[in-house]
Amino acid sequence: MITVNETDIARFCIEYATAHGADAARVSLNKSVMDGYTLLNGELDKVTHSADRSIYLYLYVDGRYGTFSTNRLEKDELESFIMKAIEMVRMLGEDECRCLPDPERTEKNAKTGRELDLYDESYENNNAQTRLEKAKSISIFSKTKGCDSYSLISEECEYSESVDNNYVVDSQGFEGRHTETMYYCFAEITIKAADGNKYSGFWWEAAQKEQDLDCSKCAVKALGKAAGQIGQKKRRSGNYKMVVENNVASRLLSPIVSALNASAIQQKVSFLEDSLDKKVFPEGMTLMDLARTPGKSGSRLFDTEGVATKDCAIIKNGAVRQYFVNTYLSKKMGIAPTVEDLSRPVLMPYIQGEDLSAEEKEVSLQTVLHKCANGILVTGFNGGNCNPSTGDFSFGIEGFAFSKGKITHPVREMLITGNIVDLWNNLLAAGNDYRPSARWQIGTLAFQNVSFSA
Amino acid sequence: MNTDRYYLDLFKVSRTQLEQVVATALSHGSDYADLYFEHTTFFNLLLKDGVVSSGGFHTDYGVGIRVLKGEKTGYAYSENTEMADMIKAAQAASAIALGTEGNRTYCPVENTRHDLYPMERNWRDYGADAFLPFLKDLEKEIFSRDSRIVKVVVRLSDSVTDLMMFNSLGELTCETRPLGSVSVSAVFVQDGKTENKNASRSFRMGAELIGPALLKELADDVVRGIDARFEARRPKGGQMSVVMGAGASGILLHEAMGHAFEADFNRKGQSIFSDKMGQQICPKGVNVVDDGTVAFNRGSGNYDDEGVAAEKTYMVKDGVLTSYLHDRISASWYGVKPTGNGRRENFRYNPIPRMRATYMESGNADPKDIIADVKQGIYVDEFSNGQVKIGEGDFTFFVKSGYLIEDGRLTMPVKDINIIGNGPQALADILAVGNDLKIDNGTWTCGKEQSVAVSCGMPTIMVRSLTVGGEQ
Repeated sequence: MITVNETDIARFCIEYATAHGADAARVSLNKSVMDGYTLLNGELDKVTHSADRSIYLYLYVDGRYGTFSTNRLEKDELESFIMKAIEMVRMLGEDECRCLPDPERTEKNAKTGRELDLYDESYENNNAQTRLEKAKSISIFSKTKGCDSYSLISEECEYSESVDNNYVVDSQGFEGRHTETMYYCFAEITIKAADGNKYSGFWWEAAQKEQDLDCSKCAVKALGKAAGQIGQKKRRSGNYKMVVENNVASRLLSPIVSALNASAIQQKVSFLEDSLDKKVFPEGMTLMDLARTPGKSGSRLFDTEGVATKDCAIIKNGAVRQYFVNTYLSKKMGIAPTVEDLSRPVLMPYIQGEDLSAEEKEVSLQTVLHKCANGILVTGFNGGNCNPSTGDFSFGIEGFAFSKGKITHPVREMLITGNIVDLWNNLLAAGNDYRPSARWQIGTLAFQNVSFSA
Repeated sequence: MNTDRYYLDLFKVSRTQLEQVVATALSHGSDYADLYFEHTTFFNLLLKDGVVSSGGFHTDYGVGIRVLKGEKTGYAYSENTEMADMIKAAQAASAIALGTEGNRTYCPVENTRHDLYPMERNWRDYGADAFLPFLKDLEKEIFSRDSRIVKVVVRLSDSVTDLMMFNSLGELTCETRPLGSVSVSAVFVQDGKTENKNASRSFRMGAELIGPALLKELADDVVRGIDARFEARRPKGGQMSVVMGAGASGILLHEAMGHAFEADFNRKGQSIFSDKMGQQICPKGVNVVDDGTVAFNRGSGNYDDEGVAAEKTYMVKDGVLTSYLHDRISASWYGVKPTGNGRRENFRYNPIPRMRATYMESGNADPKDIIADVKQGIYVDEFSNGQVKIGEGDFTFFVKSGYLIEDGRLTMPVKDINIIGNGPQALADILAVGNDLKIDNGTWTCGKEQSVAVSCGMPTIMVRSLTVGGEQ
């Protein structure tokens, strides 16, 4: 927890900076603790204890701006640090657009940091022994012998618990706290197939509350990922329907989110420039930012500037409804400010040609595979890029061919290529089978007419 | 070079206190313990829209304490160097030995003293005003090169890191590492189409890096090939011969092969090379190196982050796998000397085997002849991110620009495509190695668990066949 002494230090930084030449200032104090336990082949391999504390200082001096940070929080050191920082800001160029956000826009209710129910009280009761037991519960190494088609080479399991605290204060009177716990488990398994080839697979789970974390299936899923790759075959290059698993689907949405950032638009490196209120994506595609949902990963009451988040549509029925515009870019571009970036994106369920608004229909991987009938199911991305100016992309993929809605065989060394806007305009379905632990709530996706190379 | 006294004073500890902390770390019967003291100052300036309107500096200070029992690691750190806090961290790390079976002998190393990056002008001695004219001149120079440029962004960043390492073998190793980087990006607009290009340089050197030569190099780089970029199309995808241009194609070597040579992956049996030591893994004449001794190179270090002196390590010599890249743990496990590859992001992380400057040595072929020998293929000369699956050896990397090769000649420019293949297969399929090794001095950063500065290099090479993404 951030102590009274530490909040006093943050306020001292504001007072000292404004008393020595800063017109305005914001301080963000971050404090985190993490305990991690790693097992190799079922035996403890690494124990890590981390405890961090740092201050970020945002200074506005004579129409100029600079950012500074330190983990040296002794008062005398901070005084000289702030004086040097002010001196440096004065050397930089003037930019009248640099200022703190309108106080009316800042969050007023982030008083304890626990308003969003992201902190698990039971964290304080855990100790080294309970954490080690959790780590051991992930491992299946001693219980798994392999089979005719593969042998187990290695298993790495990790369990960690962490608590993150953030306290932000500015010279206009804003004060906000955010606190969250995180429980995390991970397993990676490497196998050797009968033909001598090695394959690895991994899986992870995460939860804000300890009771919501299920460690028991993690290694089994990792093993399934590894073993599922045995028997890979090349599939002929061509245009296929593509289904993308929910745990990797965010990879195809993230270029759109980046392109909606005002920073990219202002620098002319966004393929969504001039797209506000225009229908760029297919009717029925709706992306929400549900930032204020209690107990859910990614939820937060305020952004890094202290601006209050709100639940809103980013893309509504295919039309772009919001850019991410901070105070600086708002003034620079002459457009209304919003929030600095996305908090908790939720892509609403969609099936081409169907109206899902009236019913709570489940749109799962199986639903989508059956709808598509034939194509390639992508279960992982391997490298690649999306050109931020044009939206042209190329990604390596791994996954399976499927026919009549059933998986037939794993595919090898395939790439998908295209333009990200065109891809989304070929959207066939978006599932509502969200992973509960993921910040990005993106279900299974399906697209038609995707170019695959092999 | 600073004396040991400078570092002891900086971190406010005595040698006796170092020994006390190590003794605490070993108190539960561990085999080895080390302390990693770090003080880093970072500085950055950003020029955007004609104004250097953003900048700052950052300070990081602390000590990491590692305890080894066999190959098992206990790790904790403190953000101050008060004895009470260091002892507490040492106690936390020492817990790894409780109830842990097995032990291992960790031996002292015979270090060669290097001075690979003497600073003529220490970054810490200069304020922002010393670099503002350079940033503005660089922006002006770039705009003057091409009327299609509508935006230029220039970033300057530097860091100076003081390190002091002490271990249970009594070895005290100290050094100061500078790192200076300048990167530029330019946005070009032509007939309603937008293209962006980037260029960067990064060296372990002082502020003498900043000058007219660097300015010209970056301006040349960021406008080079822009006409081809506007003309470029995606080729038809599929299997084809690939010629990698000299320099940045070293990222292929880093991703596709280099990670699989890191000894931790081999010790755990995960790497595709874990049972291939001493075997011919690629054609004779191919030498693959990871080198920590290239003067002023971004990936170099006088010592690694375990206090082992830098060396030039041949992983592949004349086509034969001769060495993995070792930290102290894997070296002890394999019964070999550490190779100076124990690296970490900062004091918050334990060291693990990491690459430094990874490159293939020059061969005999003339690069023009290599291209002339290709009937149908692709020549690639600008890359960005890549990725590898260690167990399978499957890799991808993204080609920002290149050309089709048709009947031995470079023809249509291509861009924004991915190349995918299998590392060991690609190594085995090398048909020609050029005589033009070039180290790429861009801001390459490797992200294996932690971020560390690296560099890469390559002569022109031809690979028989890889899968190229493209239109159908």
